[in-house]
Amino acid sequence: MTELSRLMLRPWRDSAFRILALALLVASLALTSVVLLRAELDARFNARGAEMLGGHLVLDGSRAPEPAQREIFSDLAHSELIKFQSVVVHNEQVLLVSVKAVDQHWPLLGEVLLSDQRFGGTQSSVQHGPEAGEVWVADQLLDRIGLQVGDVLPLGQSSLRISAMLVREPDQGGGFYSMNPRVLMNRSDLDRTGILAPGSRYGYDVAMLTGNPEAISEQLTPTLRPDQEIENVDDTLNRSMGPLKQLTLWVSLGVMLITVLCGAAIYLTTGLRVARRATMAALLRTFGASRQTIIRRLLGHELLAVLPVVLIGIGCGGLIAVSARNALGWEGALAAGASEWLLVLLGPLTLFAAFALPRMSALAAVPALQVLNRQDHQSLRRSGIELAAALIGPMAVAAIVTGSIQDLLLVLLLLASLGVLLPALVWPLLVALDKRSKRWSVASRIAVRRLSRRRTTTLPLMAALTLAMAILALAGQSGTGLLSEWQRKLPANAPNHFILNLFAEDQQVLEQWQQQHGAIANPLYPIVRGRLTLINDVPVREAVTKENDRADRALNRDLALTEEGRLPESNLVRDGQWHGERRGEVSVEAELADSLGLKAGDHLTFVTSRGELQATVTSIREVDWESFAPNFYFMFSPGAFVDQDATWLTSFWLPEGDGRRVAELMSALPHITLLDVNAILERAQGIVTQASQATAVLAGLLVSAALLVLVAALLATADQRRADQGLLRALGARQALLRKVNWLEFVALGLGAAIGATLIVLAAMAPLGILLFKGQLLWSWWQCLPLLTGAGVALLGGLIGRRVAAGYRPSM
Amino acid sequence: MQDSPILSALSVGKAVSGPEGTLTLLEAATVNVKAGESVAITGPSGSGKSTLLGLLAGLDVPSSGEILLQGSAFSSLDEDQRAARRGALCGFVFQSFHLVQDLTALENVMLPLELQGQRNAEPAAREWLGKVGLGARLGHFPGQLSGGEQQRVALARAFVVQPKLLFADEPTGSLDHANGEHIADLLFEMNRATGTALVLVTHDPALAARCDRQLRLEAGRLHD
Repeated sequence: MTELSRLMLRPWRDSAFRILALALLVASLALTSVVLLRAELDARFNARGAEMLGGHLVLDGSRAPEPAQREIFSDLAHSELIKFQSVVVHNEQVLLVSVKAVDQHWPLLGEVLLSDQRFGGTQSSVQHGPEAGEVWVADQLLDRIGLQVGDVLPLGQSSLRISAMLVREPDQGGGFYSMNPRVLMNRSDLDRTGILAPGSRYGYDVAMLTGNPEAISEQLTPTLRPDQEIENVDDTLNRSMGPLKQLTLWVSLGVMLITVLCGAAIYLTTGLRVARRATMAALLRTFGASRQTIIRRLLGHELLAVLPVVLIGIGCGGLIAVSARNALGWEGALAAGASEWLLVLLGPLTLFAAFALPRMSALAAVPALQVLNRQDHQSLRRSGIELAAALIGPMAVAAIVTGSIQDLLLVLLLLASLGVLLPALVWPLLVALDKRSKRWSVASRIAVRRLSRRRTTTLPLMAALTLAMAILALAGQSGTGLLSEWQRKLPANAPNHFILNLFAEDQQVLEQWQQQHGAIANPLYPIVRGRLTLINDVPVREAVTKENDRADRALNRDLALTEEGRLPESNLVRDGQWHGERRGEVSVEAELADSLGLKAGDHLTFVTSRGELQATVTSIREVDWESFAPNFYFMFSPGAFVDQDATWLTSFWLPEGDGRRVAELMSALPHITLLDVNAILERAQGIVTQASQATAVLAGLLVSAALLVLVAALLATADQRRADQGLLRALGARQALLRKVNWLEFVALGLGAAIGATLIVLAAMAPLGILLFKGQLLWSWWQCLPLLTGAGVALLGGLIGRRVAAGYRPSM
Repeated sequence: MQDSPILSALSVGKAVSGPEGTLTLLEAATVNVKAGESVAITGPSGSGKSTLLGLLAGLDVPSSGEILLQGSAFSSLDEDQRAARRGALCGFVFQSFHLVQDLTALENVMLPLELQGQRNAEPAAREWLGKVGLGARLGHFPGQLSGGEQQRVALARAFVVQPKLLFADEPTGSLDHANGEHIADLLFEMNRATGTALVLVTHDPALAARCDRQLRLEAGRLHD
């Protein structure tokens, strides 16, 4: 056996080292699996986000980029697109369409899904745009103006052949609120159409692929014209994918909590191991070793011995991550890069060093005689550096592993401070109990004294139990909260079709058709198109000073107004009171209200096709635009549309089946606009499914880490417990008494930790609500979990007590 | 001194199984200890002294033979019954003191009385600590006491239950000569004063010589 392997194996003889090794193994395993899984999620969602954006970065503006800007992106793969609105006239039908003219590089990412006919055609995926002289059009266009694939579409001064029906564009994003049907054409045909002339309004986008979007973005930013802006993948994901943002935060929170838990486990077990090394340190000092030599020798040998453990933990964590990937059906190479691997190696070692180093150095400072004479070395345990390391170590690792700690700082500080403060608050209670215990039974007296007289054992144990219980509850609560929120937003039967321009007399036909095909109908909303003209009788142009893009869009076009007495589920009243059945009132969407400077009590006037429509603002609503439900900027109270020309809007879920069902409806009601959002819905549901699965995996890891802390806490005190039981047994204590003492001790520990954990969970509700649930407080049964876990700890204590009492033979 | 033995070990043996087969620690040892008598068990390291003491005190059970306490079965009782009899009749002094670190000197001495169910253990504990010269250090924790002082607390704890029999395992082994002498003086003085029988394991011939009788153990075999 080599000297190195001897050095590595020697510490294993000590049970304290074996417990420490177990804590480090699970810490490495948990950190590795969660960091690797997060890298997978990031990579997958970034790829998805880039596809939705059309590239890694998009420069959008209202005219072509400047030559200086071209120089920046000319070496990158890029695609230039022009977007504009136009009118198509055919068979006396007039239709506003949304045109996208693409170059030969489009799409940079993803595929275009096409069909060769309106209903029941063959679908195919391609990675290019239409050829010159051809267009691909959305299904609604074919329905509305009565054309088919193969027909010619008149566009401006030219005629282009419809060579396919467009089912899905890769970069169409998550929204479906652009009601105008899409026409996709080749850019080389654009001049022939003669649509774009000087002064025309259009959008000019440059999508680009780059390995370093931040750097390109930094170079472009100083060159931006007022009409230009840069969009990146993060914008796209955050804006259009609420669950993704929540998932990112939840994963970061999970990583942070796992780090804190592993830190707690390592803290407990390192203390035990270092105490065992005290004699070695004292001996080295008597042999004349300097402090540095002692620290180097003790810590160096220890590091050497824990390194293989950490590597095995990383290997096991990698296996878990790969198994989770396989179970979730994710393919391709592992997404984790060198930085992630370095992180998973350094994370556990940093935690170990943060706890071991101050303790070892304190050990080296204690006079040798004090240790060899077995005098209590309290100075070892009361080191301020140690407490600082206990707090800063896990926080630093959490900050590094999480990537950015900004969002989570409040939760982390709360956890760390309450985890430390609460047991300190419990302490005076224990001391008071100790003083009052003189008249109690002998078992109660011994149990209370064991806790109240061992500050250095009881407080870390209680802090670790408190943290573990609190984190279990928080993980369960926020994890299930997210799952149910996503489930609520995107249930399996979320509406996959929307109908506009429905007349009152059409409703019966629609209802019959829905019943016949097993469709699930949603409420009907009356729609009146109107333009906001006066705010408190002042023309809107003068009244609105804080004009911005959103306000501009709201003021320059007819808006779809509706009346409804019931607040939709995807809406939340922020200010004022929902009008219900009261007359003459209107509720306004919050962001628009802010941009127009509207508040409750303002009087609004709209111009509609039948004259004016007036109402007083009585509520401002937050609207969840990611919900697959119709949402409105202005919702009037019932009765507002009595004298107006109203059409109806509704949505429904149609089970999978062939296109003939929809064709039947279109032939019965040819004037309606039918939006099929299945493709977008599937994409959103795919994301939610993956997010849910990732959440479940992470919750599983968190539960394991919390259990590890419980086990580490129990193992760390097991030797002391055995010695206590032995002495009591020698002095004549019966098994029943030993069991009772153990049980009472664990009841007090479990109860104290449960109360502390419940307080943490309650205190964390506000920051977690703000972070994950848009400020809503989440009440659930999970808040009772610490008390249940406390009962579990007490039960476990009873079982351990029974085992210890039965198995122990006192020795001389 | 009465003639009937308070403790009898009848042909007691102890064997344990290990990786290299069965190992005999003690072979057919017969010991009788009369009330008030002091007996020293001596022998080299590994001869089985602590094994014999553990068996006599009921902390372990013999593989063969039987031990009687006050004439009735002791080693054949179950763990709890032995603990109860031990608590009522025996006291202990260990080489490494074995005080409970989180209890004060007073609480350490009160502990065996409390385990017997006595509600008011404090006066007796105070009295015994006074007898060992620690009346002024009742509230000190073991960590705040010297080795000699800790062993004096252990003596007070052993005598506070007024035992019929005291087991002492190298009681001066962890102390310097002066402290060792002082503890030995206290031990024999209290032994005489209370009429307690003493079973003492020691390496120290001088300490062994102060006992009424000496038994020598060599390789698990007992010689008078």
